Amino acid sequence: MSNLNIDSIKEHTYDAIVIGSGISGGWAAKEFTEKGLKTLVLERGKDVKHIIDYPTTNKYPYEFEHRGEPTFAIREANPVVSKCYAFREDAMDFFVKDQEHPYVQEKPFDWIRGYQVGGKSLLWARQTQRWSDLDFEGPLRDDFAVDWPIRYKDLDSWYTYVEQFAGISGNKDGLASLPDGDFLPAFPLNAVEDYFRNTMRDKYIGRHVISARCAHLSQPKQIHFDQGRAKCQNRTLCQRGCPFGGYFSSNSSTLPWAEKTGNLTLRPFSVVESIIYDEKLGKASGVRVIDTNTKEVREYFAKVIFVNAAAINTNLILLNSTSSRFPNGLGNDSGSLGKYVAFHNYSARIGAEYDGLKEFTTDGRNPAGGGYIPRFRNLLKQETNFKRGYAAGFSAYRNTERDTSGLGTALKAQLLSKNLGPWQVGSHMMGETIPKESNYVKLHADKKDAWGVPLLKISVDYDDNDAKMKKDYLEQLTEMFTEAGFKNIQVNDGGQAPGLDIHEMGGARMGHDPKTSVLNKWNQLHDCKNVFVTDGACMTSTSTQNPSLTYMALTARAVDYAVLSMKKGDL
Amino acid sequence: MNRRFAIKQVLIFAGGMALLPSCFREGGKVSIQLKNLDISAAQESQLAEIAELIIPKTDTSGAKDLNLHLYVLKMLDDCFGPERHQQFMGGLKNFEGLDSKSLAQLVTDANTAKAGLSEETIEFFKFMKWKTIDGYLNSKYVMSNLVIWELVPGRYNGFFRVKSA
Ligand SMILES: Cc1cc2nc3c(=O)[nH]c(=O)nc-3n(C[C@H](O)[C@H](O)[C@H](O)COP(=O)(O)OP(=O)(O)OC[C@H]3O[C@@H](n4cnc5c(N)ncnc54)[C@H](O)[C@@H]3O)c2cc1C
Ligand code: SF4
Repeated sequence: MSNLNIDSIKEHTYDAIVIGSGISGGWAAKEFTEKGLKTLVLERGKDVKHIIDYPTTNKYPYEFEHRGEPTFAIREANPVVSKCYAFREDAMDFFVKDQEHPYVQEKPFDWIRGYQVGGKSLLWARQTQRWSDLDFEGPLRDDFAVDWPIRYKDLDSWYTYVEQFAGISGNKDGLASLPDGDFLPAFPLNAVEDYFRNTMRDKYIGRHVISARCAHLSQPKQIHFDQGRAKCQNRTLCQRGCPFGGYFSSNSSTLPWAEKTGNLTLRPFSVVESIIYDEKLGKASGVRVIDTNTKEVREYFAKVIFVNAAAINTNLILLNSTSSRFPNGLGNDSGSLGKYVAFHNYSARIGAEYDGLKEFTTDGRNPAGGGYIPRFRNLLKQETNFKRGYAAGFSAYRNTERDTSGLGTALKAQLLSKNLGPWQVGSHMMGETIPKESNYVKLHADKKDAWGVPLLKISVDYDDNDAKMKKDYLEQLTEMFTEAGFKNIQVNDGGQAPGLDIHEMGGARMGHDPKTSVLNKWNQLHDCKNVFVTDGACMTSTSTQNPSLTYMALTARAVDYAVLSMKKGDL
Repeated sequence: MNRRFAIKQVLIFAGGMALLPSCFREGGKVSIQLKNLDISAAQESQLAEIAELIIPKTDTSGAKDLNLHLYVLKMLDDCFGPERHQQFMGGLKNFEGLDSKSLAQLVTDANTAKAGLSEETIEFFKFMKWKTIDGYLNSKYVMSNLVIWELVPGRYNGFFRVKSA
């Protein structure tokens, strides 16, 4: 505002603005710049340059001050983010600290965030499965949420498109619930994972164990070398940032690609406060940004705006973008903005031991993490007392046996022993939750953050359906483990709060009907056509698969549509 | 600048972890900087003895060579809260001032949680042992010479044959 006197509007005008530089924003940046649009990417956090800004990437465990462990003071000051398994000394700086960015938990919600160039794409566990029509048809078939305005056929070719560029490893498993993609070779299952796969295939109809599909370059192609990336070296230190570009992140892949076109302007330290709605034009004209270093307010303008701030922050920006046309938030004629937030239920796990296959162990590390059990409950029809179902991880490993009971030379010999213990196996559930109106995010009436943006109130909880589903997961997996001859089965229903799955979705859902949804089938606000949302906020339902690959496909598709519309003069 | 250089020269390594020495080594104080714990030089050397009883020097380095007791103190000081600090200090009292023979006996008894020993004694020792082992296995020495940790494996074999079962 104040700056407009100094800098001309022209200097602040781009063809496209992308809010957020994480997994989905990175794709929007790549697609727009490749199509020749001058694109501004606004990122609230600091810059993280591929390789250069990965300070811990080559450290040995003993080079960390506390061997990786967060200190007591850090855990006390950050009770929420400390719950995340990856919040350790090696990657701590890529996570948002609780106190720096507070929010109000009307109900316990562990909101895990990464505010920097690359967002959470630096930190993610890189599991990538396509969704199928069993997911897109879910709300209609099982009568919840609203009908998705798209089906698998709308995304199929876009999945292929993003898979080829990102590099996804997997097998063609031929499963209806998990369409095959354009894959690099899979990371194979180990002896016991493979044994479990075969046992399940023989004892059950329709229960599969497959190699986890993941965004790693198991065997890079030319397109990956062109990005400056190389074969994954199986270090499994990915959350530190990978110097090989072995896994997909915005930092290693989409953003440098966008930069090479010469059409990218990336502005870190720029919090988008709101989107500016121009009443005369009847569309959005730009965004209002607060510089986090100087607190200066600036405005940037563009013909089209993509909101990719990660689901909950995207809701916040839209809710905070008020005007006389949209007093309750941009594009919120339906009143559903901020509602129908849903997530994945990761709150149960199960472990056991296996006495067999002792002639094998593993050597090296598997970045895919092991196996994946696609959803098998209520798949083709409703057959339980709960709606929808769960997928699950499955992995097996062997540790050296270290008896620590002794003392002195005996203990020392034990500690250095290379004797292997039995195989350990483990699984965790990934349950679909049902979007409900009562699960919402809202702006706080008076509390504000350091930049004057209202704090968010989050009110999201499990329900009875989640409890029944969790019980079923533990029962079914116990049965499956028993069938496989696994011993000493331990179940853990954890009781973690929602949020820790880090797959929050919804709030600005897609739908056919502007009265009950915020976005149309092109991820475009029904009521403000030049604003698009292609991150998790757009999701009508949550499926059981990891969501990020779908955000990538939706983003590439939406940019394509936006650019075509612009060419036609429709935007 | 000079002072920093000077400190650099006297970094103490606990199993491969650099520790800042206490700037003002007043008579009787512990040799590394601690934020919460108050440890005397006598307590420090007794902790070193206990650690050595847990992991002695053989043909390979032991706890004293690797300064593992300093690692234990550093981890206790930074990664644990007041309750654990109190428990540790309380238990440590029972190990102070013992000659080497009585100390070895108490360590052996504490290790088996012998009946009659106080809860604090047992908890102190459990912690001491846990972190000594932890420091040992995660030390640069062990990780580069004995149980080798690789930064870049570059491979994965899920059906690796165990040499002799
Ligand atoms: C430990 C961990 C493991 C995970 N594992 C998986 C997995 O295996 N598979 C999977 O699919 N997903 C996984 N995820 C989730 C995945 O990381 C997210 O789904 C994905 O990153 C979301 O992409 P996004 O673009 O919506 O958001 P992000 O990648 O989070 O990027 C959003 C960006 O927007 C910026 N931003 C926010 N607000 C503003 C604002 N007002 N102005 C400007 N910029 C703003 C943020 O700083 C951030 O950089 C995992 C996440 C974590 C942390
Ligand atoms: S496992 Fe692959 S992607 Fe992860 S850090 Fe290693 S080389 Fe990089």
